Amino acid sequence: MNQQSVSTSSFSQSQISETAFEKRRGISHVELRTGLTQVHVLNLAEPLAKKRLEALKAVANAGISLDFLKLTPTGVSFLIPADKTELISTTLKQADITNQLDTGRSIVLIYAVNIRDEEGMIAGILQRVINAGISIDHASDMHDRILIVAEASQAERFKNLIEEDIRG
Amino acid sequence: MANKVVVMKFGGTSVATPEARMTSAMRVISAKEKGLQPVVVVSAIGRKGMPYATDTFINLLKEIDPNVEPDARELDLLIACGEILSSVIFAHTLKTLGHSAQAFRGGQAGIRTDGVYGNARIVSINPTALFRCLEKGAIPVVCGFQGTYSEDRSLPGGELTTLGRGGSDTTASAVGAAMQADAVEIFTDVDGVKTADPDAVKEAPTLRQVTYDEVAEIAHLGAKVVHPRAAEIAMNYDIPLWVKNTFSDDIGTEIVSRDKFPGRRVTGVTHTGKLVFLQFDLSGADQAHRAKLESSIYGTMERYGVQLFMLNVSPESTGFAVPRAQYPIVQDVLDGLVIPVGDGNDRLVYVFQLGSPTPEVETQVELLKSLGEVRRVGAVLTEGCTMVSVVGHEYMQQPGVFLRALEALESGQISVLQTSDSDFSLSVLVPESEAMRTVKLLHGCFGLAEVV
Repeated sequence: MNQQSVSTSSFSQSQISETAFEKRRGISHVELRTGLTQVHVLNLAEPLAKKRLEALKAVANAGISLDFLKLTPTGVSFLIPADKTELISTTLKQADITNQLDTGRSIVLIYAVNIRDEEGMIAGILQRVINAGISIDHASDMHDRILIVAEASQAERFKNLIEEDIRG
Repeated sequence: MANKVVVMKFGGTSVATPEARMTSAMRVISAKEKGLQPVVVVSAIGRKGMPYATDTFINLLKEIDPNVEPDARELDLLIACGEILSSVIFAHTLKTLGHSAQAFRGGQAGIRTDGVYGNARIVSINPTALFRCLEKGAIPVVCGFQGTYSEDRSLPGGELTTLGRGGSDTTASAVGAAMQADAVEIFTDVDGVKTADPDAVKEAPTLRQVTYDEVAEIAHLGAKVVHPRAAEIAMNYDIPLWVKNTFSDDIGTEIVSRDKFPGRRVTGVTHTGKLVFLQFDLSGADQAHRAKLESSIYGTMERYGVQLFMLNVSPESTGFAVPRAQYPIVQDVLDGLVIPVGDGNDRLVYVFQLGSPTPEVETQVELLKSLGEVRRVGAVLTEGCTMVSVVGHEYMQQPGVFLRALEALESGQISVLQTSDSDFSLSVLVPESEAMRTVKLLHGCFGLAEVV
């Protein structure tokens, strides 16, 4: 049916024009968040759940915000802004908490709209990261993105790889 | 003349019974009597197990031979029947109430999609037929969840496609956008977007405004009231989108764009269904082989379309949760999976083992020994768990927020098996038996009873 031939007695022409809708499938773009430090709290005594809370309380009391909190067999690990590295080191030392700090971390954010609706996509992106030889410190997901924590230069390299993929 | 088009979408429970259809139809008539021009979008009649529900149609094919996968094209033709039946019955219900109505298949309504059967995306809508129907004074009743694909647009007809998850909500929003509607209203059996599942928190309030990001994250983490695809279209075309209850007069929830964010810290608490958590121990693998092993795990998960939750990846181990319904697939394809590496004298064979070894895996290991050294990559299984998430905005990054949640759970003696977080949420993996109590505790901890 030719749009022009339609009776538009009470509707404007713009109301019957065709429209484009949904976003493209799969990865749409990639972003890098730099300047982070991965903190590993290690060798906590029993009861582990209580000791983890004590460690996190020390971090919160120092006013340090954390991301990517993960329970590990003997403690927790998390990510903090690099400018808080010295502060966390002092804080954990004062609380007598064994720790390891991995500086120079970045997050690669890989955007793909409604990621859970595309079956297997999260696994597919993780496979792509691993096949690129990236050692993943941590990973997480949101409705429109996967977040990969890795050493800064590896993260940068992966971002470039994904950008090349997108450009085709 | 002002054309106040309002798109009213009715979900499965709103069209499931004659009584429900009558209530839904009365809502449409009431809108018309207020001077609006309603355009109806309907889902299939009823939910899982009911005679005309989508899964019932699929079972018709499975009953013939469960081992033969139906063709995606044929499957789309079959499952689209649910909405076609529903639209005709709804249009007829309106007629019996004295209002002229006309049922439209997706293609007849001008909905064109890409060619991905079972998960098509809307490419464009030509709403001419719908406008013509309105101009005749009739109410269009459009089948949700479907459209038409035509590689060559000059050819008549086209292939029927279905839109996949959230398809009917998406239809409603897209039709609303194409018709420049005053509003799109998604009618369901709850009052709107709540701060938690009312089964867990009876007093959970209905949020009056929710942003697209909040809706999308809530859906991602397990609670789908309105599908993010629908919210995204409404947001892009600046069409007000509402979630309302067919069976109550509550005003419902408005989905708004990011710039209208009401500024609350925490939006709500969600929980997923039943999960199985798997943590693979890679410490016994040579450093050089870990990537290959991990790649095999994730490549297999991708190939079989397994949904992953609670990613827990580190250089020493890798883990995730999968829906319990998908666990048999995971077990089938990963337990006993053999990954050979190297050659000659350096030949090494890795064998995946999920949980305790089965006799089959033991036999396999014995047989493989003749090929070289055999190493097991064990996965610790935690069955019977669920993910409970707190959804919010930047507040999630404030110091002490995770601590607050974990302290609340510790005081309730809930064992947290793992944690995960993102920019808009924090999640805990807990025993399934504690799901409702966890939701309640976190709801209370963040003062969500007072949120509006």
